[in-house]
Amino acid sequence: MRNQRSVKQEFLRKWITGLRRYSCDEKKNMSFLERKKAIKLSADIAMASTRDKTTRWSQALIANASSSGDTLTGSSKNNSSRSRKKMLMMRRRRPKVKSAKKEMSASCIAKRLVEKRTRKLKNLLPGGESIDEGCLVEETLDYIESLRAQIEVMRYLVTASQLIINPYP
Amino acid sequence: MSSRRSRQQSGSNRISDDQIIELVSKLRQLVPEIRDRRSDKVSASKVLQETCNYIRNLHREVDDLSERLSQLLATIDADSAEAAIIRSLINQ
Repeated sequence: MRNQRSVKQEFLRKWITGLRRYSCDEKKNMSFLERKKAIKLSADIAMASTRDKTTRWSQALIANASSSGDTLTGSSKNNSSRSRKKMLMMRRRRPKVKSAKKEMSASCIAKRLVEKRTRKLKNLLPGGESIDEGCLVEETLDYIESLRAQIEVMRYLVTASQLIINPYP
Repeated sequence: MSSRRSRQQSGSNRISDDQIIELVSKLRQLVPEIRDRRSDKVSASKVLQETCNYIRNLHREVDDLSERLSQLLATIDADSAEAAIIRSLINQ
C-alpha cells in the first residue's frame, strides 16, 4: 500500500490545479451540472495521475478524458451506458444448461457465474474491458484504494467549504 | 466448493483460485463490511459480486460528493477561500 497521506496531498494539489482551469469568469456562468462534471472529472484525473502511469485503470481514465477533449462532456457517462447495455445483453443471452448429471450442470453454472461477474467487474474499472485477467485483481485493489482516498479528500473539502460558508454552526 | 471443480481452467481466461483468495484477503483488510459468514469457504462469484457492489457504491459516493461540492463551491468566492482550504487541508 502506498503512503496514503502523501497520495492524498498529491491528489488534492493536482485536483485544485485542475479546478482552477474552470475558475474565475467561467465559474460564474456554469450551470450546476456543468460545475459538478468539472469537479468530478478533475478529481478523477487528479487521482489517476497520482498513479503516474503505473496502473492500467489510471492510464485508461486519463486517455478517456483527453480523447474527449477534457471537456465537460466527459466520457464517463458513455462508459456506464455502454456497460449497462452489455449487462442487459448478457442477461438476455444466458444459455440454458441441460445435463443428465446434476454435478456437471452445477459446476457449469458456477463457472458461468464467475465469468459473468468477472465481466461485470471489468466493466466497472476504467479501461477494464480490455484488461488481462492476470492483472485484474491487482488493478481492482489499487483502484478501490485510490477511490477511497479520493472520497476522503472530497469529504474534507465538503466539510471545509461548509465551515467557510457557516463558520459558527 | 465450486472453485475446486473449475481449478483446471487457469491462465489468462479465468481468475485463478489464488487470485480470488488474494482478492478476498486484501478486500477484508480494506473493507470490514465484506465478510463471509462461513469464513473458511470462499465463493469466487460471491467475492466478485461484493467487489462490484462495493465499487458501484464508491462511484455513487464520488458522484454525490461532486454534487455537494458543486453547490458549495458556487457560493464561495474563488481565490481566497480556495487558498484557505488548501492551506488547512495540506497541513493536516
